[in-house]
Amino acid sequence: MSDERDLDEDNIRALRAGHGANCSSIGSVIDTLFATATVGAAVFAAVVAALKKEEVRVVGADGGTRPAEQKPAEKP
Amino acid sequence: MIVRYERWGAWVKLETEAAVVALDRAGVRALGLDGGHVWGSQTSVSAPIEIHMAVTARCGAGCEGCYLDVSPDGVEPPRAELERELDAAAAAGVFTVAFGGGEPTTREDLDVLADAARARGLTPVVTTSGLGLSDARLEKLRHFDQVNVSYDGEGDTYAAVRGFDASDAAGRAIERLARAGVRVGVNVVLTRQSFPRVHETVARARALGAIEAQLLRYKPAGRAASLDYLARRLSTDQARSLGPTLRRLAREHGDTGKFHVRIDCALVAFLSADPELAADAAGLARFGVFGCEAAGALAAFTVDGRVAPCSFAASTRLPALSLSAHAGDPELARWRAYVDGPPEPCASCSLRSVCKGGCKVVSGFLEGVHGPDPECPRVIEARRERAA
Repeated sequence: MSDERDLDEDNIRALRAGHGANCSSIGSVIDTLFATATVGAAVFAAVVAALKKEEVRVVGADGGTRPAEQKPAEKP
Repeated sequence: MIVRYERWGAWVKLETEAAVVALDRAGVRALGLDGGHVWGSQTSVSAPIEIHMAVTARCGAGCEGCYLDVSPDGVEPPRAELERELDAAAAAGVFTVAFGGGEPTTREDLDVLADAARARGLTPVVTTSGLGLSDARLEKLRHFDQVNVSYDGEGDTYAAVRGFDASDAAGRAIERLARAGVRVGVNVVLTRQSFPRVHETVARARALGAIEAQLLRYKPAGRAASLDYLARRLSTDQARSLGPTLRRLAREHGDTGKFHVRIDCALVAFLSADPELAADAAGLARFGVFGCEAAGALAAFTVDGRVAPCSFAASTRLPALSLSAHAGDPELARWRAYVDGPPEPCASCSLRSVCKGGCKVVSGFLEGVHGPDPECPRVIEARRERAA
């Protein structure tokens, strides 16, 4: 049994890199758009790796911050 | 990671990577989660993921183009009030809170506020002029995930934007923050005068230790909402050259992944003049480029505790403490409605889904309405053709 989460780059609709710290207008990293395919792939690969291993916490207006009700699914 | 369900899947803020990801439903299910009633909901209004919070109206810099028209004796809301606003942001599922003002470092409790945000699961970031950055103030800035220093260039370039030259002080602040191990970026306001030096400015900021440069469009709000705006805004030719400028900046700085160039929401409209970028809305969206997200993914908390669509827009009547009721606010709904159904030439623009009609603060100032961004190269061209 493995608890590896079965997701990949195709599950990512959008990736906003970095925190951005401007307080007046929302910013977006643009240089990755012009980067080589290798650099772009590395950015997505790092994010997919994090998505597979980080603990999950669900937040939202319908109940505020709360622990995830469900445990990460185990892959058969 | 922190997950917030959306109709299409979920926004996910990672904690080991500095990134926010829009994950589709299959990806969310792979996390062992299910969006439940959110996925079954008919409403498409989601809460902001980022809040820009004015924590003071106090600032002694006196920048000519200050978008909030703040002053040295401006008000400073009590910490308890701001902490309640942070509660409201967290309850709504916001990810990031960018502290601004005014000059946030004038607050003695700035570090406490950063910690308060983090304790609520929010990522605290802050913008400062860097002026008057004492050791004590620098220590407080260590409590943030990132600090951006306003840095528009050296000498006359800085002065042309702000009315005085404090570039040395801002540069020293960048250098000291970087040496102290703080993630520091710079905000570079693009005006007709600063734009020609942007390559030099970004290179200088990087040399001082910045890890990121965010390019900002000059906007007609606060003290900048005057006739002088017309002399400071980018020329049409400059706006049209944004795409090539970004490519060159990416070549100069984006190769290692250790330094990033960002553009602000209001600059996205200018990409319509770049054939390659204009034809790649999907690429822009995949890399998370946001156009006007006012009243959408972004909202502002004003210093008097109200919600505004963005920092440059007038506040609504909705109290910040009631952020979770944002979907029902008529003014916020008006901003979103424009994005959902803009008139031509935005309606047929290939970048519409990303740009979202350009900057409504600019159109409101120049034309008095929520309309197509009058400085967008594509809008200018369409109007010229119509008039011919």
